[in-house]
Amino acid sequence: MKRWMIALASATALLAAPAMAQDKIKIGAAPYGLNAEFMQIWVAALQEHPAVKSGEVELTVFDGRYDALVQQDQFKTMVTQKYNAIIFAPIDVDAGAAAVQAAADAGIPVIGSNTRVHSDLLTSYVGSDDTISGYMEAKTVLDKIGCKGNVVILEGPVGQSAQISRLEGNKKALAECPDVKVLEDQTANWSRAEAQTLMENWLTAHPNQINGVIGQNDEMALGAIEAIKAAKLDVKSFAIAGIDGITDALHAVKNGDMTSILQDARAQAQGALDLAILNAKKGEYKPQSDIWETYKDMPWKDGKEKLYNVPWTPVTADNVDKLLATRK
Amino acid sequence: MSVGDKKTTQGWLGSEQRRLLIQEYGIFLAFLILVAVLSVSNEFFLTAGNISNVLLQTSINGVLAIGMTFVILTRGIDLSVGSVVALAGIVSASFMTSSATAGVAGAPYPVALGLGIGLLVGIACGAISGLIVSRFSVPAFVTTLGMLSAARGMTLIYGGGRPVPALTPAFRWIGTGDVFGIPAPVIILAVVFAVSWWILNRTRFGRYIYAVGGNPHAARTSGIDITRIQFLVYVISGGLAGFAGMLLSARTGSALPQAGIAYELDAIAAVVIGGTSLSGGVGRVTGTLIGALIIGVMNNGLDLMGIQSYYQQVLKGALIVGAVMLDQKRNYGA
Repeated sequence: MKRWMIALASATALLAAPAMAQDKIKIGAAPYGLNAEFMQIWVAALQEHPAVKSGEVELTVFDGRYDALVQQDQFKTMVTQKYNAIIFAPIDVDAGAAAVQAAADAGIPVIGSNTRVHSDLLTSYVGSDDTISGYMEAKTVLDKIGCKGNVVILEGPVGQSAQISRLEGNKKALAECPDVKVLEDQTANWSRAEAQTLMENWLTAHPNQINGVIGQNDEMALGAIEAIKAAKLDVKSFAIAGIDGITDALHAVKNGDMTSILQDARAQAQGALDLAILNAKKGEYKPQSDIWETYKDMPWKDGKEKLYNVPWTPVTADNVDKLLATRK
Repeated sequence: MSVGDKKTTQGWLGSEQRRLLIQEYGIFLAFLILVAVLSVSNEFFLTAGNISNVLLQTSINGVLAIGMTFVILTRGIDLSVGSVVALAGIVSASFMTSSATAGVAGAPYPVALGLGIGLLVGIACGAISGLIVSRFSVPAFVTTLGMLSAARGMTLIYGGGRPVPALTPAFRWIGTGDVFGIPAPVIILAVVFAVSWWILNRTRFGRYIYAVGGNPHAARTSGIDITRIQFLVYVISGGLAGFAGMLLSARTGSALPQAGIAYELDAIAAVVIGGTSLSGGVGRVTGTLIGALIIGVMNNGLDLMGIQSYYQQVLKGALIVGAVMLDQKRNYGA
């Protein structure tokens, strides 16, 4: 009797094991690279998603190491290992298309997140429109200087999609203030150190003429602040803005040194994961992340939309403490 | 070294002398011409504030390039300095931050401790590379390429890929402070230069470095401990890279894991523009300093004139190749 019981138990276990493995949804996340704070917040948000915590989803993160080819190879791996869905933040809009194609050929749904890709085969995309943030940040600078005076623009690496779109937004806001002159406009490659050097030189070339600094990301805005401090000028007499809402920038906002436009990495990640689960299950799924509650402007709509636009949030003295509390 | 030693049949400045003069002091001349052109074309270039800026902006690359000079003089190369900048920057910063979450327990500590630790990290990286190059005869290019990757990885592991912000004012002084209006990093560069000049020109160790680079076999035969010299130059380069890392984080106010990427290239460029031969044994640290200043002045001048940074890269490329062409001419005759 006892032996019979054991035999039955092990037989059940043998049968159950593959069934259980099938129940777990295998989702791969392919971010373009993990060296910067933004993508780390993005990955952490995926790992904190209720479906991952409950064990319903088995999540694997592939570090793209800022290389389109590496990302393409990672897609091949995911196809071979029969992942149920892929979340993709490509390094390059065009180079990412081949990877999406490979997954689509294998019938694996791909959800875009954060960065765009030129492909019709993407199931859905959850991201934020960079032209809007570019407009918003330029607008805060222009409002603060009263739509007159001189500004400088610190651009991202020329040709990157975020740089192109943010500049478009910058220019749209500048067009509304025809009296404002753009004294300088150069790339500092998203880098704080490069922006610091540029700003030091600009402060020399245009003494007492620069009123506003439009930094296309927070790092560069922070570099400009350091240059202004080094020149022994009053940071608060400048209007300075950046984008992303990185932790250092939140502190600077709290200090009254700058404005930042927060890009919600958490919403982009968790939103994409909800969509990935929905598509992996082929319907019959209610989103579990609280972000759909937070952003009423971005309705779930049964997960059928192609494009989910995560709204930008200006960081101000009112919400900065709450945001800082989320960064540990 | 002196031009006057050469005999000539034509006037006091014959063609032979003129050729030598250009070769020996060409880089210094180029620097003066660059300064003259920029002074004329931009009213702000020769102001006290801007000169201070240029020196400040040259300080980090200058310190790295001086360390690189020691290595290149022995026929070596140190590709790891950019990563060591980041590693030393972030490790020392974690002892120097007033942020409760980014620092090690008990931070901020006294400045001396933070500086000591950053220096030690740099020296340790240099010692590992030096040991592998000198004892195991692994080519310097390969060894330091490995260190470039490993030190960057360790930086990301140590800080979890996050920056270390909120460095204490005392620590930031080395990057932002000044003495009688002279920025602290400039004073540091001057001290590093003076000590290095003294080591290379006035000590036995310095003469051995040239000997090892000039002809390793002859150096060994004459009883020089080549292994030790080769080891020590990487320790010097690593230590100075560690120091540069702290200067950088003190200057930007935050130690970033992405700091220092490709800094090794600017350091090598300064050394090469300054006339130090990549085949070892020939070169001067004064040339390196001028090489670093040329890069700094060029970037500054083009920024002042509002010229896109892409042109800076093209010009730097032309300068590097031009300097080596000059070097080849000097070594193998024209």
